[in-house]
Amino acid sequence: MSLLAHTVQAGTPFLLGTIGEIYAERSGVLNLGVEGMMAMGALTAFMTSFYTGSVGLAILAAMIVGLVLSSIHAFLSITMRANQIVSGLAISILGLGLSGFLGKPMIGMTAPRLPSFSVPVLADMPVIGPILFSQDALLYASILLAVVLWFVLFKTRPGLNARSVGENPAMADSLGLNVYLIRYVCVLFGGAMSGLAGAYLSLLYTPLWIEGMSAGRGWIVIALTIFAVWNPLRALLGAYLFGGVYALQFRLQAIGIGAETPQFLLMLPYLTTICALVLISAESVKRRIGVPAALALPYVRGE
Amino acid sequence: MMDTFLSISAGFNKPYEPIDVIYQTRILNMSQQESKVSRRQFIGGTVGGLVVGGLAGYAAGVSTAPPAVAPGVTATVTETATVPAPAKKIKAGFVYVGPVGDFGWSYGHDRGRKYVARLPWLDTFYAEAIPEPEVGGAIDRMVAEGADVVFTTSFGYMDPTVAAGDKYPDKKFWHCSGYKRSKNVGTYFAEFYQLYYLCGLAAAGVTKTNKIGYVAAHPIPEVIRHINAFVLGARELNPNIECHVVWLFSWFDPGKTRDAAVSLVESQNCDVLAYTEDSPTTLQVAEEYQGKGKPVWSFSHYSDMTTYGPRAHLTGQVVDWGLMYEYILAYQYAQAFRSMDLWWRLGDGGDTVDGWRAADGGVTLAPVNTAIPENVRNLIEKRRGEMRAQIFEPFTGPIKDQDGKLRFATGQRATHDDLWGMDWFVEGVVSKLP
Repeated sequence: MSLLAHTVQAGTPFLLGTIGEIYAERSGVLNLGVEGMMAMGALTAFMTSFYTGSVGLAILAAMIVGLVLSSIHAFLSITMRANQIVSGLAISILGLGLSGFLGKPMIGMTAPRLPSFSVPVLADMPVIGPILFSQDALLYASILLAVVLWFVLFKTRPGLNARSVGENPAMADSLGLNVYLIRYVCVLFGGAMSGLAGAYLSLLYTPLWIEGMSAGRGWIVIALTIFAVWNPLRALLGAYLFGGVYALQFRLQAIGIGAETPQFLLMLPYLTTICALVLISAESVKRRIGVPAALALPYVRGE
Repeated sequence: MMDTFLSISAGFNKPYEPIDVIYQTRILNMSQQESKVSRRQFIGGTVGGLVVGGLAGYAAGVSTAPPAVAPGVTATVTETATVPAPAKKIKAGFVYVGPVGDFGWSYGHDRGRKYVARLPWLDTFYAEAIPEPEVGGAIDRMVAEGADVVFTTSFGYMDPTVAAGDKYPDKKFWHCSGYKRSKNVGTYFAEFYQLYYLCGLAAAGVTKTNKIGYVAAHPIPEVIRHINAFVLGARELNPNIECHVVWLFSWFDPGKTRDAAVSLVESQNCDVLAYTEDSPTTLQVAEEYQGKGKPVWSFSHYSDMTTYGPRAHLTGQVVDWGLMYEYILAYQYAQAFRSMDLWWRLGDGGDTVDGWRAADGGVTLAPVNTAIPENVRNLIEKRRGEMRAQIFEPFTGPIKDQDGKLRFATGQRATHDDLWGMDWFVEGVVSKLP
């Protein structure tokens, strides 16, 4: 496995989570529950795969569970107009705790995992064939999804609607858009993607169930969403940058570079986050891009 | 009571009452509850005196001296056995640093708790995922709920546990993996380095590249000792083997572990991976490579993990905390508590037959893969038996460190303190210590 393939694999759960969160935040709802939804998605996928033996069903179930969890957040923050930060944190804590509790019987079990998938013809190419074209299906799907979601968000009317709801909900409402419905759809979609990211972890990346196996990835997704300036294509860049740093930190250690200060190498992902955010901030000031104006603000009709 | 115990630890020439009390009661109670008494329990009852006495001496003199085992004591124990009136029920609290679902450290301790929870004279309860700074509060709550004895199972719980011992002088405390004791605070630990030595032998039996890797959690003496033992084992068979180490700085992180394991295989061409991390991820990575036709091997850690990598699994280190908890609690049930440093290695807590340890006991070797050449498997068995009988010690000189400095002269055995303070790599480890 080359560094490149390793990078893409490590980056995929970040990518899946981030493109979902981008949609939620574009519509004006900050969902800090990604970590919890990821954990529940990972457990659901593993359990479904364990009991039914069907990986496809497992992926579907993980997405549904992510969707259900995010619907709690959607109800609280959109309908009840609760504080989105508090509600999102509650979802994270709930998801982590619940998955730990329900997952007890799954500890130490093995379940069918996602098989790798070779693209016909291309996989037979020398050198790059096995690197690029014999990965798992979910990995290819995530790249495709990022491109499609970028297109939908920026080039189609539903995407424009979602963005306008996140920028100026009152204006969007006056134009006849259903603000609540659009926000619900975006948040639920984000939840489903977080569930899918969890499924990637428990079906493929580390195919087992262990309590807390999302290991903070949900929080990195939140940071990546900002890093990507709410753009699915830049999420691709950010997720693989992170995947690369994850892969690289141990490769450098293994070949003896910085081996006497591995603490520094292990700081790389976080240093990268800080550097990236600094660069992004400078750029967003220059180009006037940034946070959806109505992010984390509940919308109340007629106020 | 105390005097009796001390005399037992000194030799086998005094009456055995407390020990008989412990084991006879245990067998009676267990057999009432369950229809069949296992061989382990039965033997444990008849020769329990041997094991307890041996260990008490062991705890006092630690590693090098084998416990003096006198043949023929078995009969004496059985004859003097008396069944006392049942003592008061004990309530035992367990504090875990991680979730009980980690399939590693805390999971192992909780399995031990469940094992002793079957004892009819014992009530257990636990608190999981307690951060180290908060352990004092957790202990207070447990005592308030009526705990007679509290087990704290993380190194970082050490000072708060000793403090709790002073605060509650009539309660008993046991701290796992630490070194501070007091009148009512004991310490206990299951030691793996001998098993890592056996894993090293297995690694030498299968490696083709002569490069073995180690995914390590934190650079502390325990982990360094395990890496060293692993490398010493491998180099007993093949002195050309070199070992590369990658540090996670985390006890539990499947994602990082995966990245680290892949890096060792890809960047250094290591084909056997040992590890100290609380998940089966390293083994899974090895299995994945096996699936792609590249032979990479790994091990079990804490529990038998064969199912995670049926092809890649060589053997591994497994601990049964239940035996240890039962041993500790039986003392207290017999109202014979004594602050001790229990440090279990191969054979401790196992069955004893005529003074020879027949089973590994609290720490044991996972199933050995038949892909390992037969002569190597035989050597593993041989060394395992020798270590059980304390004839063989992995850290016996001449041992050089990675800079070529002689650390143990020929024939010199590492002492308990040498092992507990180990901060250098043996010859054969390529990576430098952080």
